This record gives sequence, structure tokens and C-alpha cells, in this order.
Amino acid sequence: MALEKNINDAKERAKKIKLFAHDIHGVLTTNTVFCDVEGNRRYAFWHMDGFGDLSMMANDIKPVFLDSTSIDGEGLYRAKELKLDKMYFAVTDKTAKLEELKKELNLTDDQIGYIGCELSDIPVMKKVGFAVAVADAIPEVKELAHHVTSAPGGRGPIREICEFILRSMGKWDEWVEKVTKMGYK
Amino acid sequence: MGQAEAIEKAKKVKFVIFDIHGILTDNTLFYTQDGVKSEAFSLQDRIGIKALMDSGVGVSFLTSKVSRDVEQMAKIYGVPPDMLWGSSAKMARLDEFEQQSGLKDDVICYVGDEMIDLGIMKRVFFSVAPADGSPEARAIADLVTKAGGGKGVARELAEFILKVQGKWDQLVAHYQ
Repeated sequence: MALEKNINDAKERAKKIKLFAHDIHGVLTTNTVFCDVEGNRRYAFWHMDGFGDLSMMANDIKPVFLDSTSIDGEGLYRAKELKLDKMYFAVTDKTAKLEELKKELNLTDDQIGYIGCELSDIPVMKKVGFAVAVADAIPEVKELAHHVTSAPGGRGPIREICEFILRSMGKWDEWVEKVTKMGYK
Repeated sequence: MGQAEAIEKAKKVKFVIFDIHGILTDNTLFYTQDGVKSEAFSLQDRIGIKALMDSGVGVSFLTSKVSRDVEQMAKIYGVPPDMLWGSSAKMARLDEFEQQSGLKDDVICYVGDEMIDLGIMKRVFFSVAPADGSPEARAIADLVTKAGGGKGVARELAEFILKVQGKWDQLVAHYQ
């Protein structure tokens, strides 16, 4: 089922974003946990999503990891590696957490974006200015999202949405030029 | 870019620089509950890399940051530690290498898949992207491999280069 989304509306919404929160399972990961015989658990992330987060930070958009169902705080190491300063795990009320962040950072709802995939993401996605679903999100989430990425969870949705946001803002070309010349550190 | 042009370019290649993530891996990063990171590297690519080096074509790996998993992989692939380069300023790293080695852009092949690779891909003589590279990388590449990242890109490229250089049969004969 192809969902008709108003791309111009999505671009207008994306333009205003100052904070972009990600769900973890099914968005940053493939929604899989590998359990080995030694008792280790592994989660699969996507290298280039890190570039997406770094690109957002470099362009004054704050990426936030916002998780409600973590088992091991997975994503914590990923967030640390990317030097994120806002990451929250096992949050029961994501809407309240974003409300808190909104006050702390002096933002408005339309400056907040969120990318999700599951039932638990619905309340927060209804609240934010720019709600995004991954390609393999449940139908209800895709239905209410302003934009759906072509990448499924754990396979590059952050890289993709970062480009969408920065292009909407007219900042992408300049950023790419900078990165290809000088790197991004 | 036509196949004929890619063949002409591949003939002149003396050194191949591989981006790592998305080329030798499919971009997936695994983290354990204790934060131990791992990645899946293709053993098919090990054969490709070895074939290039055995045939006198130099190889290096260039990534923004060298971590221990990458060090291990380089060891398994037989690439010496001084050919494992960590820098997100990829153009500057290439300048440095060219100064040290005396090699110039016109004998260098670069394999990349993303934004950060575009500058260097435009600059070197022969540029390659994997089948699942970003649209921008595939658009400017002289050659797009049939293999996607982590699925034998280096193996396929090595065979392509060594065949056009007339070195492949000799290599295969060695095994027969």
C-alpha cells in the first residue's frame, strides 16, 4: 500500500526542526536481538545513521535517543560514540519526556521532530511538529506520519531523514561540500 | 559511464583505496549489552584484496576512525598497519599519501559509497561504488559493482582490474 503524503507539507514541517528524537528498536536497530550461547545479546545498528546524527548536530539540530522498551540500554554505547548529550532509556512516557526537553531547551512543538515505528510511538508522534515513520513501521504509525522514509529500521532511516531535513532547510549542498573537503570532525 | 571507459581506466590502476563501512561491510554495526562493537566483513573480499596485492597493486583502507574491529580485519586481509588510515578529512589524507609515495591521482582507484567520499571519487582517476551505494556516489562512479557492500565488492573489483591488466589468468593458474 502506497501512502499518499504531502511532500510539500513535510518539507515545511522539516524546515522548523531544532530537536529530532529517535525511537531505538525498529528505527535505529533492525528490531532484532541476537542472543548467543554465552549469554551475550547483540543489536544491529547502521553505520551511516551515525553520519546522519553527526550531520544534524553540525547543523544545529539536536538528535535525541528516546527509548521506552530497552533491554540493556542498547543504544547507550552508540549514543556515547556519537557524543550525543541527550539520551533516555526505558522512558515510560515519551510525550512527557519531550515536554520536559521542550521547556528545558525553550522550544515549541513545531520545532520538534520524531521518528518511530510502533504503537508506543503514536502518542508522541501526534504531538510533535514533524512525525516520521520508517518504511517497515506498523500501518497505524505510517498513517499518521507526515513523512515515511524509504529505509526500514536499522538500515539507514536517520541518514535519510537527516538529508530530507537539511535539504528542506536549504543547508544540504553546503554541508556536503564542507564534508567532502574537510571531513566532519 | 560506459563499461569501455571503465576498462580503459582500470588498466592504469596501481593503487586501490577502499572506504570500509558500506564497502567491506553492509553498514551494519552490532553492539552487545556491554557496548562491544562488531561488524561483519566479507571473506570473499579477503581473496580480492590478496589478489590485488599479490599482483603488485597496492591497497589501503580509509575510514573516519580506525577501531579495533577494523584493525583485526586488516590483519586477516593481510593489509599492513601503515595502510590502515583513519581520517574523516579524506582528501587531506590522500594528499599526504601522494606526497609520501610519489603516486598521483592518475593511477589511484577509490571505492566509496557516501557523501564523504564524493570529493575523493571525483578527484582520483578511477572511482567505484557498490550496487547499494548512495545515488550520488553511484552517479559519479566510473564503475558500479554488481555486489552490494559487504557482499564481495573488493573481490569483484579485484577481478575486474586484474583481468583488464592481464594479470588474472596468471593468478588463477597458480591455484590450478
